[in-house]
Amino acid sequence: MPPPPSALRITRPTPTTISFTVSTRAPLETISARVLHYLSLALRVVIASAILFLLWTKWELLYPSVEGGGVPKWLVSSWPGKIATLMAKGVMTRYLVPLAGGVLWLCARRGYTEESLLVLRGLGIQTTSSSSTYLSTNSTRFIPTTSIQDIFIHEAFKMFEVRFYLAIVVEGEQDVVVVFPSLLPSLTILEEVWRGARSCLYEPKT
Amino acid sequence: MTYNIAMVCDFFFPQPGGVESHIYQLSTKLIDRGHKVIVITHAYEGRTGVRYLTNGLKVYHVPFFVLYRETTFPTVFSFFPIFRNIIIRESVEIVHGHASLSSFCHEAILHARTMGLRTVFTDHSLFGFADAASILTNKLLKFTLSDVDHVICVSHTCKENTVLRASLDPLMVSVIPNAVVAENFRPLAHQEHVTSPVDGRPLHHSLRPHDTITIVVISRLFYNKGTDLLIAAIPRICAAHPYVRFIIAGSGPKAIDVEQMLERNVLQDRVDMLGPVRHEEVRDVMVRGHIYLHPSLTEAFGTVIVEAASCGLYVVCTRVGGIPEVLPPHMTTFAKPEEDDLVAATSKAIAALRQGRLETGRFHEQVRTMYSWTDVAERTERVYDGISGVLSEEEFYGSSTGEGWSAARGRAGVQSFALIDRLKRYYGCGIWAGKLFCLCVVIDYLIFVFLELWAPRDRIDAVRDWPRKPPLRESSSATNAAIGLGRKRSARYRDQGWEG
Repeated sequence: MPPPPSALRITRPTPTTISFTVSTRAPLETISARVLHYLSLALRVVIASAILFLLWTKWELLYPSVEGGGVPKWLVSSWPGKIATLMAKGVMTRYLVPLAGGVLWLCARRGYTEESLLVLRGLGIQTTSSSSTYLSTNSTRFIPTTSIQDIFIHEAFKMFEVRFYLAIVVEGEQDVVVVFPSLLPSLTILEEVWRGARSCLYEPKT
Repeated sequence: MTYNIAMVCDFFFPQPGGVESHIYQLSTKLIDRGHKVIVITHAYEGRTGVRYLTNGLKVYHVPFFVLYRETTFPTVFSFFPIFRNIIIRESVEIVHGHASLSSFCHEAILHARTMGLRTVFTDHSLFGFADAASILTNKLLKFTLSDVDHVICVSHTCKENTVLRASLDPLMVSVIPNAVVAENFRPLAHQEHVTSPVDGRPLHHSLRPHDTITIVVISRLFYNKGTDLLIAAIPRICAAHPYVRFIIAGSGPKAIDVEQMLERNVLQDRVDMLGPVRHEEVRDVMVRGHIYLHPSLTEAFGTVIVEAASCGLYVVCTRVGGIPEVLPPHMTTFAKPEEDDLVAATSKAIAALRQGRLETGRFHEQVRTMYSWTDVAERTERVYDGISGVLSEEEFYGSSTGEGWSAARGRAGVQSFALIDRLKRYYGCGIWAGKLFCLCVVIDYLIFVFLELWAPRDRIDAVRDWPRKPPLRESSSATNAAIGLGRKRSARYRDQGWEG
C-alpha cells in the first residue's frame, strides 16, 4: 500500500530544539475538532466502564460472593444495574466474554498512528512511536549526539513496493535506526525533516 | 530526445558474466548520452535493496525466490505490483529486457505492455529446437515476443535463431553486437614485454622451436562451453607439442573432469588450473599466453574471444553460432566442434606462431576500432527512437517495407497498445497456447486495473533523478558518418526534442 495520508507538525520551542511529528490524525486546531476528540474519549471511558460492570455482574451471577462483598446493593437496584443483570442473565458466558473483550479492545485502540522525532542540539535525537492502544506506553529511543554518525534518506523494498525512509546511523550498531518506522511518510515530508534535523543537530558552519 | 529506460534481467552484478557486463556497459554509455537508466534484477546474497553504481546507475535488487543458476521462479503475475511501483516512481518509458532464460525479463515485458510502455528485448543466447527444455523455452519466448516493440540480437546467427524460435518478423529484429572495453584488455606494454633471456628479443614475435607456447582457456566449465571437447583435446595437443603449456581459468561442474584428465595423463606440470578468476583479472591471465582456445559448443557472440584478441592473443575457436562473425579471419583459426579438428586447428595455429606468420602485435588497435560500447549505445538509442515513433517507419525499417505488412502495427511502425490488438497477436501463438496466453494477458490486465485502484498512481512518490548529463549531439560522434543519411535526420528530431 502507498504511504497513508499523514500530516507533519513542526514545533520549535527554542532555537536549539526542534520536534517533528508525523500523524495520520488531522491536527486538533478548530474548537469543534477538539470538542469531538474529547467527546469520543469520554464515550470510550463510559462504554469501557459499562462493559466492565457487565462482566462484574456476570461474575457475581456465576460465583455469588459472601454477604457484604460483590456488587453494592444500591448499584444493583439502579437502572444500569438492572439492565446489566438482565443482559448478564440473557447472554451466555461463551458469547459474552469474547464480545466484551472485543469492545474493550476497540475502546482502548488509539485509531491513529503518531510518530515523532525530537532533535536537541548538543544532546541528541529522540524518536517516539505511538503505541496502538491507550493502555500501553509510547516506545521511545534516545540516541546521543556522540554516537550519531549520519542521517540519510534512502529507499527500500517493503511488501510490494519501494518506499523512502529516513534513517540514523548509530555508532557500533549493525542496523540503522529508521525514523517513523510504521508510517514511512512521503518523500516531501522526509526531506523537510531531514533538512530540519541536520540543521538543528549540527552547529551551522560560520 | 532522452528516455527513461529500465533494464530488466535476472543476471546482473555481483554475478560475473557476459550478459551482466553487457547490461552494465550499455547502461553506463546510455547514461553518458543523457538518458536515465535503472536496472531491475533479483536480490543476490549480500546484495539487496536499492543500490547506486558508478555514474548514477540505480539498481533495484528485488527480493525474489531464486530457482536455478540465478534464475528466478517464473510466476507470471507475482512480480507485477512491485514492477509497477518501480516503473511509476522512476517514470520509466522504455523497458529493455535481457536474456531469454530470465523469467524476470519475460514478466517485465508482459507487464510493461499492459501498462502501455515501449519494450525492447535483447537476446544473448542460442537455443536448439529439438529437446524438451528448448521447446518450452521457445514457447515462452514466443509468448513474450508476440507483443514486443523491437528485438535486438548480438549476432546475425543469433538473429536467425531468434526469428525462427519466436516466429518474428525479421524486420523488427536488429543486430547490435557486444563490445569490449579495449582499454581493459591491453597486451603487455613494450617495457613489460616478456623478453627471452638469451638475446632480449620480445617473445611474441618469432618464437624459436623450443620456446614454450602458452595456450589460455578462460570459460565457465559447463557442458555448453565445450569442456568435454577440451578434456579430449588437451592430452593430444600436449603429446604432439612438447613445448606447449595450458592455463585454464574458470570453475563449474566440469572442473572435476578436467582435474581427473590431468591426473590420468600426468599433465599437472603442463596445465595450470587457476580456478575462478574475477573479470578484472582476466586480462592478466590472458597476457600470459600466446593462443586463446575457445572450444564452446554454442555461443551467440563470444565476447571473450574479442577480449583475447584485444590482448594480442591468436584465437582458435569452434565454428559455432555467432563466433565466425566476431573477428576478422587473420585473427582466428576455426575448427569444427569435434576433437580431431580442434587438435588439428590448434596445431596449425602453433605452427603459424612459431613461423612468425602472425601479426598479433596489431590486434589490439584493430579490435579497439571495431568494437566500442559507445557505438553499441548509439545504435541501441536508434532502436529506442524507432519504437517511440521519433523515426518514421521507412527510416527505421528501411524503405522496402510495403504498407500494412502487419495487421496490428499502428502509426509509424509502432505497436498499438489496445488490448484487442494485443490479444490478436497472442492468439496466433498456437491452438492451445494462443488461448492460454490470451487468458494470461487478460488476467494481467485485470491485475493492472486492480492495482490502479489499490495503489493509485498519485500516491506513489516519484524519485529524484540523478543529475543527467547533457544529451550528446550526433555531430560530435565520429562513427556517425558510417551510418549514413538516415542518422542525420534522427539527429534533427532529437535536437528539436530537447531544445523546444
